[in-house]
Amino acid sequence: MTETIVELITDYGIYVIFASAFLSCLALPIPTSLMMLTGGAFVASGDLNAWPVGLSALAGAILGDQTGYLVGRLGGGALVARLSRSPTRAAVLKRATDLVDRRGGMGVFLSTWAVAPLGPWVNFIAGATGLTWLRFTVGDILGEVIWVTVYIGLGYTFMDHVTVVAQIMTDIVGLVVTLVLAAAATLWIRGVLRAKAKARAGRL
Amino acid sequence: MLSRAQAFVSRLWAAAPIATIILSLALAGTFFFGVRTVLFWQDRAIKVQQEQDLADWMTPRYVARSWRVPPAVILDALDAPVPPPDGPMTLAELAEFRGVPVEQVIAEAESAIAAFREGTVRDTPTGPGRTRRDD
Repeated sequence: MTETIVELITDYGIYVIFASAFLSCLALPIPTSLMMLTGGAFVASGDLNAWPVGLSALAGAILGDQTGYLVGRLGGGALVARLSRSPTRAAVLKRATDLVDRRGGMGVFLSTWAVAPLGPWVNFIAGATGLTWLRFTVGDILGEVIWVTVYIGLGYTFMDHVTVVAQIMTDIVGLVVTLVLAAAATLWIRGVLRAKAKARAGRL
Repeated sequence: MLSRAQAFVSRLWAAAPIATIILSLALAGTFFFGVRTVLFWQDRAIKVQQEQDLADWMTPRYVARSWRVPPAVILDALDAPVPPPDGPMTLAELAEFRGVPVEQVIAEAESAIAAFREGTVRDTPTGPGRTRRDD
């Protein structure tokens, strides 16, 4: 795995970093974290310059997120309308949309770095539920700056242990993502139970 | 107790089956990654101390920085073009460029590191950290 990534970086340089950041923000399974760490390691060794590596990763990630948001904006509305046909689901969706309205900017910000594997889906949902472009973009840029800085910085600092760092980062991010998903599923179930209880009370 | 837990799960399942599946998978994932993180934490000292072997994917500058040898020492020893004609060059690409087997390039790098370290020990009676060649 490392060999292939290194070969790609030494052959295509910042273009491959840009492309991998862009595609991974569209939910394609690309080991972009390992790519950033390796990029950071090559900055440390003096083979690559820090600014082009950082800026290409940042540009790829932000453009990828914007594309996901646009897809959600253009195609997500119809999906939300279809899901809202069932009254219970409509109540849960309304809560979710309200949540995006209230905390959407913060959600986008966190999804780009703290729970990066959820990022592409959050972009789509933000577009579909109508989070304003400005709030999305502010959260997106701030979050991606952190993501790129953390991974390239870790690669730079631990340049001779890139694979070890990649492994522990995968485990920690996996742990955070599964915890967030568990919390989200719990909120979802609670929302459905409440909506059903309300519907029952309304009938009585 | 067990039947109460069963009743609770079937209530969740009846209310929101997809969310219940996501919740179960997420909890299983939390357990999986939690165990891996704890195991890694226990072995962290061993994993970090291990010095990696020279490999054909490394660049001469990467070798220099990793083994704390000035880049010029490795670049000279490997007869590497400075600057490389087409961006960073791995040891494998360098071997191809020079028309020699990659094993030879790796062996040259190893002996350059060994020679430099020997020189370092001889040249700095006060210990590692400052070396004549770094000055």
